Amino acid sequence: MSIAAMLTGQTQYQAGTHDDDDFDDEGILAASIVEAIQNEDDDPSQTLQNIQSREDDLQSRLQAAATPLEYQASLEARYASYDNYCSLFHYILNSNGPVELDLPTYYWAWDVIDEFIYQFNNFCAYRNRLAKKGQNQEEIASLRENQQIWGCYSVLNILYSLIQRSQMNEQLAAIKRGEDPNTVAGEYGSRPLYRMLGYFSIIGLLRVHCLLGDFTLALKTLDDIELNKKAVFARVMGAHFTTYYYVGFCYMMMGRYSDSIKAFSHILLYVTRTKNFHNKSSQFDSISKTMDQMYALLAMCVALCPTRLDDTIHSSLREKYADQFQKLQRGGPESLAIFEELFQAAAPKFISPIPPDFDNSSNNIDPMQHHLQVFMLDVKNSMMAPVLRSYLKLYTSMDLQKLAAFLETTPDDLRTKLLVFKQKSRQYKWTEGGLLSGETVNTSDLDYALQKDLIHISEAKVGRKLVDWYLRNLTRSYA
Amino acid sequence: MVSFDHAEERPEHITNILNGLDRYNPETTTIFQDYVAQQCEYGTYDCYANLALLKLYQFNPHLARDETITNILVKALTVFPSSDFSLCSHLLPPSLLNPPPNSQVSDLAEAVQKLSGLSTLLESCQFKEFWNTLDSDDLYADLIADIAGFEDVIRTRIVGVTASSMREITRELLESWLNLDGDKFDEFVKETAGFTIQDDVVFVPLNKDNEAKPTITRENVKFDQFSRVIKRAYEQPA
Repeated sequence: MSIAAMLTGQTQYQAGTHDDDDFDDEGILAASIVEAIQNEDDDPSQTLQNIQSREDDLQSRLQAAATPLEYQASLEARYASYDNYCSLFHYILNSNGPVELDLPTYYWAWDVIDEFIYQFNNFCAYRNRLAKKGQNQEEIASLRENQQIWGCYSVLNILYSLIQRSQMNEQLAAIKRGEDPNTVAGEYGSRPLYRMLGYFSIIGLLRVHCLLGDFTLALKTLDDIELNKKAVFARVMGAHFTTYYYVGFCYMMMGRYSDSIKAFSHILLYVTRTKNFHNKSSQFDSISKTMDQMYALLAMCVALCPTRLDDTIHSSLREKYADQFQKLQRGGPESLAIFEELFQAAAPKFISPIPPDFDNSSNNIDPMQHHLQVFMLDVKNSMMAPVLRSYLKLYTSMDLQKLAAFLETTPDDLRTKLLVFKQKSRQYKWTEGGLLSGETVNTSDLDYALQKDLIHISEAKVGRKLVDWYLRNLTRSYA
Repeated sequence: MVSFDHAEERPEHITNILNGLDRYNPETTTIFQDYVAQQCEYGTYDCYANLALLKLYQFNPHLARDETITNILVKALTVFPSSDFSLCSHLLPPSLLNPPPNSQVSDLAEAVQKLSGLSTLLESCQFKEFWNTLDSDDLYADLIADIAGFEDVIRTRIVGVTASSMREITRELLESWLNLDGDKFDEFVKETAGFTIQDDVVFVPLNKDNEAKPTITRENVKFDQFSRVIKRAYEQPA
């Protein structure tokens, strides 16, 4: 039974017993994820007595599952919330046949999945903090005994199970082929409850993989979803927004800055244009916080891969991060601190897939530090690019020795910097198909070639845009 | 067009694991490990599968094998300047790159930091320093021992970087970048790289990256842009 194994963990917690050998425990969870769902047997313990009351019950339980947990929630409340999610999903997935309930709106399903992952993320951060401080012995003892609660395997298990139960990937593939998704949806997937939970679980997976630092698998999970305004997630603001944030971030971590810039610009522009429709919604606070984070990420990407932004985006960016943006674009060692600052403020709150080491609190490194460190290696490597750029822009040919003298460095050093500059300007860029595919393109408007010590520099210019001007004047002459 | 999750010559049983939930099954660890060994031996490369193995290690630290981790990282070096090395680093336990203070550095942590150093040298195109570092410590020789033809693959990558930036380069400089001289240098540069040598200068054939041709992007005018003007012309006949 798929979720059943996960629930053993729950009973253990309730009975107050624990299994010291968490290896075995993880083993069971892992095996359960593998068997997930293909097992069509129903749990015999689930007997349906009164369908009507169950339906009401489910509605209120879904509502509870979509309600945010208090920020200061106690450990007990967090455990209890986890148990509620488990039994709710267990009921939805493993009852006698599909559960009957028409979802009132799309938002429900998104809110449930969103809150589920948020609480998971938050719990991991809480646990890590506690282990690092090593003060609250009572809570540490409790966490030590209940390592399976909010475990990665069980969270992934639930998301994968929801996707498989609803045949969501098969349905999306059918839509892509232009066929009727109902032909492959099956008994479960044809119902809105399962369809929506399955669909948003895919976006949930994108998020969880990204939080664990697996950026390529994160993008891979979206293979069957086409990123455009017609996609289902675009109907739910929060989902639309979250998807682009994580897609943009994953691209950034893959060094595909131009794809990242495209993703961030797209969603920021969309939100700016539709702001008036959203600013009354309760989610708007969290949306505007995420927007600020995306502007920060965008600033970093543009510094690493100079790109002309949409005018609206560009002016908002300068409004929000004027000082930092300028320093980032100037490059050099002074920009490093800004990169670190913005990354820590704008990256998702990474989690560690395994419980912390409670015995040696100093062994617990914040996963954020780890990912930041790896990212900064790449940034350090390209931090001189803006300085080089500013010089190269001035000439069409230049002697290497002379330029080295200007930059107060050695010709050998300058040559390696030029080589790096070239490598960084060649990036994978998406053109069609899955998000992981792409072609190598030149993303820079500046290019160069070395003939021994002579640098030939070329520039890609954008010709004058006449059509807009022509049309504007034409309209004026009509009036 | 290339997709990151695509790999030439990936065996079918690996494809099946990667596409299903078995990629989380700790029992597949050994299958992936054998696959890494196979990549090392036959010079193939499959980053997407290797990341899946690192993820299994991430979830089940007790299964992790030091040798396989370092082999995956060395394989990632052979495809620089791609981002594979950093993608692998993201999935490593944080304590390897960032050892906690006052603790003894494990052999694995030392190896990972050494490899990360090599990666930085390659990424920052300091090829001469890369070869010097590689020769400076016996540990490096141990780390790359399993990877067949490591040095020649790295040379091919350096040739790629050179070809994208250079039209002409002095023999002396390229010798130091490739860590080759004499006849071996001549052979490698002519046969493998396809460059030509005249006296002390190596000539790189023109390609789309070392052309550096100025371009002007012209406006792309679509008929749709004029639709309003044309519509208006019908609405208000002069």
